[in-house]
Amino acid sequence: MVFDDAFDVIVIGGGHAGCEAASAAARLGAETALVTLNLDLVGQMSCNPAIGGIAKGHLVREIDALGGIMGRVADRTGIQFRLLNRSRGPAVQSPRAQADRGLYRREMRTTLESTGNLHLRQGMVIDLLVSKGKVVGVVMQDGRRMGAAAVVIAAGTFLNGLVHTGRRTYTAGRAGEPASIELAETLKRLGFPVGRLKTGTPPRLDGRTVNWDAFQSQDADERPVPFSFSTEMIEQPQIKCYVGYTTRSLHDAIRRNLHESPLYSGQIKGIGPRYCPSIEDKVVKFADKDRHQLFLEPEGHDTNEVYLNGFSTSLPAGMQQDLLRMIPGLEDVRIIRPGYAIEYDYVDPRELGPDLQCRRVAGLFHAGQVNGTTGYEEAACQGLLAGINAAALVKGRQPIRLRRDESYIGVLVDDLIKQGVDEPYRIFTSRAEYRLSLRYDNADERLRGYGRNLGLVGDSDWDRFHNRRERILRIKAALRGTRLRKCEAAYVALSEMVGLQFGDSISLEDLARRPEVTADMILRLLPGDTRGSISIGDLETALADNLYAGYITAQQAVLRRLNNNEATRIPPDLDFRAINGLSHEMVERLERNRPLTLGEARNIPGLTAAALSTLYVAASHSPGGI
Amino acid sequence: MDTIAAISTPPGRSAIGVIRLSGPESLNILRVLIGEEQFTPEPNRFVLKKIVRESGEALDYALAGYFQGPHSFTGEDMVEISCHGSPVILRQLLDLIQKLDARLAGPGEFTLRACKNGKMNLSQAEAIRDLINAQTDAAAVQAARQLRGELSTALQPAKESLIQIIVRLESALEFVEDDLPKIQVVETATQLSKVLTIIQELSSTYASGHLLREGLKVAIVGRPNVGKSSLFNRLLRLERAIVTEIAGTTRDSITESISLRGVPVSLTDTAGIRRAGDKIEEIGVERTHRAMADADLLVVVIDGSTELLPEDLAVLSQATKGRHLVAVNKCDLPRAIGLDHQLLDQSNVVHLSALTAEGLENLTTAILAPFGTVDSEDTGFLVTDSRHYDLLRRTQRSLEDSLLELTARASEELVLVGLHNALKFLGEITGETTTEDILSEIFSTFCIGK
Repeated sequence: MVFDDAFDVIVIGGGHAGCEAASAAARLGAETALVTLNLDLVGQMSCNPAIGGIAKGHLVREIDALGGIMGRVADRTGIQFRLLNRSRGPAVQSPRAQADRGLYRREMRTTLESTGNLHLRQGMVIDLLVSKGKVVGVVMQDGRRMGAAAVVIAAGTFLNGLVHTGRRTYTAGRAGEPASIELAETLKRLGFPVGRLKTGTPPRLDGRTVNWDAFQSQDADERPVPFSFSTEMIEQPQIKCYVGYTTRSLHDAIRRNLHESPLYSGQIKGIGPRYCPSIEDKVVKFADKDRHQLFLEPEGHDTNEVYLNGFSTSLPAGMQQDLLRMIPGLEDVRIIRPGYAIEYDYVDPRELGPDLQCRRVAGLFHAGQVNGTTGYEEAACQGLLAGINAAALVKGRQPIRLRRDESYIGVLVDDLIKQGVDEPYRIFTSRAEYRLSLRYDNADERLRGYGRNLGLVGDSDWDRFHNRRERILRIKAALRGTRLRKCEAAYVALSEMVGLQFGDSISLEDLARRPEVTADMILRLLPGDTRGSISIGDLETALADNLYAGYITAQQAVLRRLNNNEATRIPPDLDFRAINGLSHEMVERLERNRPLTLGEARNIPGLTAAALSTLYVAASHSPGGI
Repeated sequence: MDTIAAISTPPGRSAIGVIRLSGPESLNILRVLIGEEQFTPEPNRFVLKKIVRESGEALDYALAGYFQGPHSFTGEDMVEISCHGSPVILRQLLDLIQKLDARLAGPGEFTLRACKNGKMNLSQAEAIRDLINAQTDAAAVQAARQLRGELSTALQPAKESLIQIIVRLESALEFVEDDLPKIQVVETATQLSKVLTIIQELSSTYASGHLLREGLKVAIVGRPNVGKSSLFNRLLRLERAIVTEIAGTTRDSITESISLRGVPVSLTDTAGIRRAGDKIEEIGVERTHRAMADADLLVVVIDGSTELLPEDLAVLSQATKGRHLVAVNKCDLPRAIGLDHQLLDQSNVVHLSALTAEGLENLTTAILAPFGTVDSEDTGFLVTDSRHYDLLRRTQRSLEDSLLELTARASEELVLVGLHNALKFLGEITGETTTEDILSEIFSTFCIGK
């Protein structure tokens, strides 16, 4: 086949998945093209101008530990850093930052442009070239054909995108940008099972028309916790956000106009995320609530645009301003961009292997919303994995896969490829059965080694990691070695505070496990010579390891017990159709998923308990079983 | 789905023998068997029909009933044929059926199909096994209760409450920026204690429940000629063991199953313990020692009409190492025994006469007393399965851990460790609760979405 241009890897889409994929593949030595509709919008945050949050912040830290770029870019452009859940245990704390939307985009573009082997190309991919079950290239709208041995689809909401505002609909990938219709048709033609999802975004306000005094302000943390293990300092000036509330009369007005909402008229068929409901959904499903919380988030240092978090809506654009004016503080507000809902195609992620490569077409990888996920961080981590594995394929190296017990990325990918999605998938800490082990602050301990082996972590970052690791070991030794004695004043004070006697003496290691005892207290109790050289971040990591160690051991025992017959092997050639007592539907589900153990079978959604027992019996009686 | 058939009554001769069929061809097969192609029976009613061989001659006259799926045991079309209970007839009929597009059912396959068609859950299937194996009325009542799903039902309020607590704690962790109600530690601890109480109460019924299911092993021991075999026969209500005045008549241990107030008891009569006179007696005494080691409870028989002998004391000193009772026999005769020996715990002593049956009721009460009250009529649900008991105990321990964390004001993720474990253990009895279920519950309880 003759091509106008040839690469090793082509990445379709310049969003958060696409940027990570292209950056990783290029840095791993693959000649990589990033093809996107508008090069000025690379790294665009289509919805809220923020990165991180509970579990999402964990993902960003993991991306960074593996050598991805999202964390660094966010650190350079973040304008309000906050560590969430600070009052709770370290495993569920997570960094979040609002970013300057424009700055983030420019910083991402600069980062990509300074990457060797990476070629930015503007245009729309309309077709995939597939030969003998393998992808060999793509066809552009303008007729160009570009060759590549691996292609990553990271098209976001653009596949068959349909925007709704009120009763009006128009095809678009985002407001103001064309949808990708032909590529969506190509995927269907190749036989991929395609579904429809929906998401929405709130209106953006003109900050000059907001009465800021009517809202409560929310400050950034005094000591910002960065996303990247390489970041020493957050340099952007930090801003305030504002919190306000809707009112009952506004709720009544929305309910009166529900017939105008495509969500309630039946016009929208796609399934939306339940954890990010539109304001219409909020006032209908939680009708007894007097008020709903809203956040006013300035979009950057040098713009008037304000993101109204909590007010996602698909009510008619013309109606939105009048409704907003019923909110105290927004009496004179003007909308710069109206909110809208968008429906788009996604491909059943059960088509993918753990390397995010499609089984149906070799060399084709899917990452981000095309897999039914939502969120920048969810997209970025898939992009990173797909980019790494696309390069590995081209270079003839082993693909990497991440396990559930070592990363949230592993949890996310495993959930996607085994269970599929029936609403936009977002990461939660409760999805991780190893939650206590997967902390934001130990992502380096968990994943830096992979990043280094791959070649994505440079010497200075690797040294930095080693130094930190040694410092933490020294702190742990000091915690074990330092005892607080009964005669000391601090002993008496602490024992009074906790309401317990600690015996003749207690080690700082044991003392630190008490929920009342903070890292600052421990720091003050350490001997003077160690204290001076300790950073609070390193101490917190040492204390977190110490706090959870016992729980993690106990939990592993429980999981082992529960997984006892999970490990029962199902012979790969077991003929499900020949098993008596399995309904046609169950056989289909089993054949689609081809579980290799009973544990994997248990994770298949819709598989009944009866089918599992039947399968168990069949597997135990077949020659290759157990 | 094919059609399966099996003989459903035990092997051997009996008044009637039942063959069951399940599957889409059941009714067609019955039509061929009775030679009526158009036969369309009213479901759930038995009719008398002539079963004909291939040659056309009659094989048997039998009652045939048709159960239309899904309103049948397996949820499929079923046919039951009650023939006369001759193994030959049943065999021939089953052969006939197998020629007619049905195959022999595997063990438990009818129940498996019932599970598969959603007619029962795993715990109910286990109950069927118990019901079939039940040795006494009371055990059958308990199995029938479990079959009605009563264990799952009994656990449901605890499970729902547990999920509520998990939902509240999880949402506090995951949705810190949303406008959610604050966690009330005291209130949550109270709710958790209530869950714990339900689990504790259920798991504490296991001693009685286990007794009902597995039964109790009781061995009657003592020196020769104190009336062990007479007592054995009396409890059996049968002249099973040979009784003479000759000391050492019983040479070997005999075991029989009886029902004491609904509790299955496996009762063993043993050879009297003394220095053995010959080889046979020596083996008998050795077997007695083995029976003593196996028993849940020893009934030490002593003769009330004579004095306590060193041989009695020898048996007593062995028996007092475990659970035991002392039956002072022959209370129909004048009492000659002194009962103030240190090896005799008065609360363990029952006076009776194997000859007149006096005191036998007291003995029964004393035998059952250490194992909890078991009354087949009045007791509520009892946990009978050791797997269920084990899971309830684990649930209990996990909940206790969580309660400790909660009251120590530990962070939610630590409290949740035990709660999730507890939910997993309960799930092994009642069916699994997945992360998706919990998330769904969160989204329907709280308005999430910053």
